Amino acid sequence: MRLADPKTLVEYTATLDCIHCGLCLRTCPTFQLTGNEASSPRGRIYLMRGVAEGEIAGDDATYHDELEFCLGCRNCESVCPAGVRFGEMMEVARDRAADSVKRPWLEALARWIGFELVLPNRTLMRWSMDLLGFAQRSGLLRRVAPLFGARKDALLAFPKVPSKAERELLPIRTPARGEEHGEVTVLEGCVMPEMFGRVNRATVETLSAIGFATRTCGSHACCGALHAHNGELDGARALAKNTIVAFEGLTSSDGVPLPVIVNSAGCGAHMKEYPRLLAAEPEWRARAQAFSQRVFDFSEFVAAHAPADWRPRVDPGTFGRVTYDDPCHLCHGQQIRKQPRELLKRVQGLEQVELPHSEQCCGSAGIYSMLRPSDSNAVFEPKLADLAETRADTLVTANPGCHMQWDMGLDRAVLDVRVVHIAEVLAEASRPR
Amino acid sequence: MEAPWIAELRALLGPRGIIDDPTQLFPYEADGIVLLRRRPELVLLPRTTEQVSRALKILHRERVPVVARGAGTGLSGGATPVEGGVVVSLARMRDVLELDAVDRTARVQAGLVNIDLSLASSKHQLFYAPDPSSQQACTLGGNIAENSGGPHCFRYGNTTQHVLGLVIVLEDGTVLDLSEPRVDPLGYDLVGLFVGSEGMFGIATELVLKLLPKPATTETMLAIFESLDAACDATSDLIRARHEPSAIEILDKLTIQAVEASVYAAGYPKTAEAVLLLDIEGSEVEVANTVAGIEPLVRARGAIEVRTAKTDLERKQLWAGRKGAFGAMGRIAPDLYVADVCVPRTKLRELVAHTTRIAREKNLKLATVFHAGDGNLHPNIAYDRRDADEVRRVLEAGDEIMHLCIEAGGSLSGEHGVGLEKMKAMEWLFTREDLATMCRVREAWDPDRRMNPGKLIPIRACLEMKQAVVRPGSNESTGDAEDAGNAENVRSITNAGSER
Repeated sequence: MRLADPKTLVEYTATLDCIHCGLCLRTCPTFQLTGNEASSPRGRIYLMRGVAEGEIAGDDATYHDELEFCLGCRNCESVCPAGVRFGEMMEVARDRAADSVKRPWLEALARWIGFELVLPNRTLMRWSMDLLGFAQRSGLLRRVAPLFGARKDALLAFPKVPSKAERELLPIRTPARGEEHGEVTVLEGCVMPEMFGRVNRATVETLSAIGFATRTCGSHACCGALHAHNGELDGARALAKNTIVAFEGLTSSDGVPLPVIVNSAGCGAHMKEYPRLLAAEPEWRARAQAFSQRVFDFSEFVAAHAPADWRPRVDPGTFGRVTYDDPCHLCHGQQIRKQPRELLKRVQGLEQVELPHSEQCCGSAGIYSMLRPSDSNAVFEPKLADLAETRADTLVTANPGCHMQWDMGLDRAVLDVRVVHIAEVLAEASRPR
Repeated sequence: MEAPWIAELRALLGPRGIIDDPTQLFPYEADGIVLLRRRPELVLLPRTTEQVSRALKILHRERVPVVARGAGTGLSGGATPVEGGVVVSLARMRDVLELDAVDRTARVQAGLVNIDLSLASSKHQLFYAPDPSSQQACTLGGNIAENSGGPHCFRYGNTTQHVLGLVIVLEDGTVLDLSEPRVDPLGYDLVGLFVGSEGMFGIATELVLKLLPKPATTETMLAIFESLDAACDATSDLIRARHEPSAIEILDKLTIQAVEASVYAAGYPKTAEAVLLLDIEGSEVEVANTVAGIEPLVRARGAIEVRTAKTDLERKQLWAGRKGAFGAMGRIAPDLYVADVCVPRTKLRELVAHTTRIAREKNLKLATVFHAGDGNLHPNIAYDRRDADEVRRVLEAGDEIMHLCIEAGGSLSGEHGVGLEKMKAMEWLFTREDLATMCRVREAWDPDRRMNPGKLIPIRACLEMKQAVVRPGSNESTGDAEDAGNAENVRSITNAGSER
């Protein structure tokens, strides 16, 4: 049981950093949607402070709904002059909230299965995806979907599980193409190999093309980002430790720990923040610190390490006109904006246009699109108009959640725009011809 | 059982257009000045002028007090709710309705965020000139209510000089369409009267605003000083020498340090006692001449370094740093009291000395930024509202600063308005007759005094005194017992519901 002190329900000291200037309002997707102060970052911090100071009950249903309504895009952090760490505050508030309310048993069960069993375990993840794939192909999904109530449409719209061949895991080691400049490891991920095996392969292929051999991390699957974002901090901490241990073993022949390349923005942002996740555990602090310094987003690493004269090329017809949509946890979570654009500029034969409001959330937000499908769609809607303005043939992203959200959204709108991960563009462009 | 008139509002505005959940209402208790807090009974989020009009008709019939709110970034309590009242938020009215690049006008909804108008007009090489530091967040409707300024208002003038027309919903729901831009207003200038009326004359829902062509060349200069006085003196010097930058801003050391620690770090040197930030606009030759003229002047006053922005990005960063200054102070303390006083430019230095002394005497953390060109000074006092004694000292300091400004021939507010915060100080500046005239003007617009009651005009000095009754539970945090704008012909919501 948790103590009655409401100050423990939120990061009280962090709420005091907010000076109430309001610069965050216009960036917040849920404020844009509703115009409701309580659904803005400033308002949510005000609510958190209200809980800590006893003005609002810790188990208040509206407060909880406001916590869950937030997409966790962290756009507010990019504009906050006071440096409020909103993402972190939200993780803590959601975690504590989970202790003070009881979820309906079915939801609690589903969360337990998802967070405790499936995400961290590659075999169970594979079986679940096999099952989903079977249900999609056989039409079974259509029959059982109504059981999921409001989430029925989201479930039916879920992208098709790819073929077995596409879901092959990466080879344990892939050599560099040509002269080897170094060696790195890649995070293969939990959902990535199942839904985006081709992105993982493109990641390795690009790294290989710029002279890096890659290694994978055995059966390690999940970094715990989804756990943390959804207020399952105990699970997140366990997985963080697990990840640190697993990757500590991956060193170069002379014992130097290898860089960890992450092609999922949400995971990368989270892994870079392990030190504060484990801050309360002194025996882990130094290890988390050392680990987080090894973590690089795919674009970040490639932009920094590709040879200066690297000019990959595509046939103009391959991707047509492309536009890049910033994943929130890349631009707001990791402040990485320039590198993906610079890399795309390096590709000859590619016409690149800027997507208006590319730093606005697409509504995917991890599992948000499954938890709150109608809010997720409403957040996505204006992105479609922005995309139409670019008249792009291909939308480039760098995160699996955004990738699926765009796939589903374009499918709904019956628009013929291809969605690819930036690694797919670079791999294609660097393929020897 | 919900009161029928609330049900009526709900039907009018839809489920997301009305907020009555106490938890959701909680963050509406304050605008940008969190020291002043009152809980509203309801918040309405209309989308159209028509909805505002119909909602105000209902509220008129029920005699419910109304407070309009834009983004809630105001710093004088202009959008602080009235207990038992309704807040009409314009946050969902943010469309650009028309943009005429040839006539250089825009018709927008009042809840549009200031910067969004400049962004929308930038593809025509136009911009909207008034640029409050909160322009990333504040609404144009709020700018009209407060007659907001901003750094570039030194050259371009405050909001009132950029408003061509308004659609106003009066307290009884009547729509007053003053939106057809007229070159020269005939008759009484109602639009001019409305700008700066702090939500007490009605709710502006659509605005016709003037757009200006972007200057051919803009140069941003940063002069670094080892003393704040020297930066003040340099300001007077360059104006005396007829160099006309479009913006003249000064930031002091503590502000610089807060900004440099934030995402808006602009490259101001952290060891400088003050920086002077200038924008010079015009033709290439004009700008080059002005820059060449200014540099020796500021150096003569002791600037240790003078930089000009090399790229557009650098220019933007220099300005983003200035505009993030208020929020950046969150790094120093949980709350910030932003005083907003004006003095003749030549008195700036004198006033700075006074504010520094006051802060020292009262043991308060002071960081000052100025729109130096306008003689508009923002002594920012960092505090923690949980510390009652500190709050008392902050408010005392605010009062002393205002008194000093009036003595120096200045004014109570440069751009933030009077609201609740400076209401009692109105008596220090204006005569009884001045205030009584203001009251009569207000009554012409709002005979029941139901729109944003209890703000701006101190009741004791005004004719309202005769009819006023002190509302039970009226705001305790300001301690102004005479704050009784809620006159007897205004009932609280709870009464209105039960009497029907």
